[in-house]
Amino acid sequence: MILSETGVSRVNGYLFVLERSLKTFLPPDVVRDAVREIDSHLRERIAAADGTLDERASLERILAELGPPLRVAQAYSVERTIDEAIMTGHLVPMFRAMWRLAVTTMAGFAAALGLFAGFVISFAFVAIAVMKPLFPDNVGLWVYNASGIPHDLGIRFPAPADEHIVGGYWIIPISLFAGLLVLVLNYRGAKRFLIWWRNRRL
Amino acid sequence: MSHETWQEQLRRGTLDLAILLTVSAVPRYGLAIIQHLEAFTDLVVTEGTIYPILGRLTREGLLEAKWVEGEAPHPRKYYKLTRAGAKRLNDMKTEWQAFVTKIDRLMDAAENDA
Repeated sequence: MILSETGVSRVNGYLFVLERSLKTFLPPDVVRDAVREIDSHLRERIAAADGTLDERASLERILAELGPPLRVAQAYSVERTIDEAIMTGHLVPMFRAMWRLAVTTMAGFAAALGLFAGFVISFAFVAIAVMKPLFPDNVGLWVYNASGIPHDLGIRFPAPADEHIVGGYWIIPISLFAGLLVLVLNYRGAKRFLIWWRNRRL
Repeated sequence: MSHETWQEQLRRGTLDLAILLTVSAVPRYGLAIIQHLEAFTDLVVTEGTIYPILGRLTREGLLEAKWVEGEAPHPRKYYKLTRAGAKRLNDMKTEWQAFVTKIDRLMDAAENDA
């Protein structure tokens, strides 16, 4: 089948939407290659189609069999971004996959929010460990002078008059351990979420 | 899990093996792989989703891809099995046959119990 101008425009429109979608998460050279391959597929299918039939119906059937461009792009997303993150377990692909899900899905956004909170908590513990030797009277477990009840773990400038800190440098290893523990749990949680998401997408 | 989800997971789980088998004897380009799969199986539901899988298998070093021009009015991207791909395919075939044998045995046992 040889396409009319309208048919060519329809194919170009499909490829344009696919390219735009892929560009949001794939490097330019990978996008070019992927679009070229889908273009080749379409040309092959169109060339083999019966030219005596209605062009529009034939073309729409070919495009439907290929799948909507957003669905094809999503398949690339799952295969590329999430699989790479799960397979390698490296931080950069993990962040890229989480970011991709966070900006495109509600579940991804919620998970990314949880991940962010985890990193903040982890950072806070590490900050306590680092700041304790520098400001020993301002960093630690805070206790009310009157009741003696501990109520806060953190850094305070200036130190409140009605409170004092208990303990000493023991807080450094404990904070470091807690910070690293939260970091590891965060990492494992993110990986589990990505595996769950990929299985859900099957 | 619904029956459809189970079927979809089964399909997805076997697609890698099916693709590796399709290019094991001769190099094939994307559409030829799809047509081969369609001729022997019903694993291809949406044609466009096969290409990302081919890309992943290539990144994993199981397939080697090469653009060929001049063979058709448009260029075709051919895929062939690498040495690592051939080894993985052998492992997958062995595991698949063992798996099928076990499930068959289980089904026979269930029928005998009935």
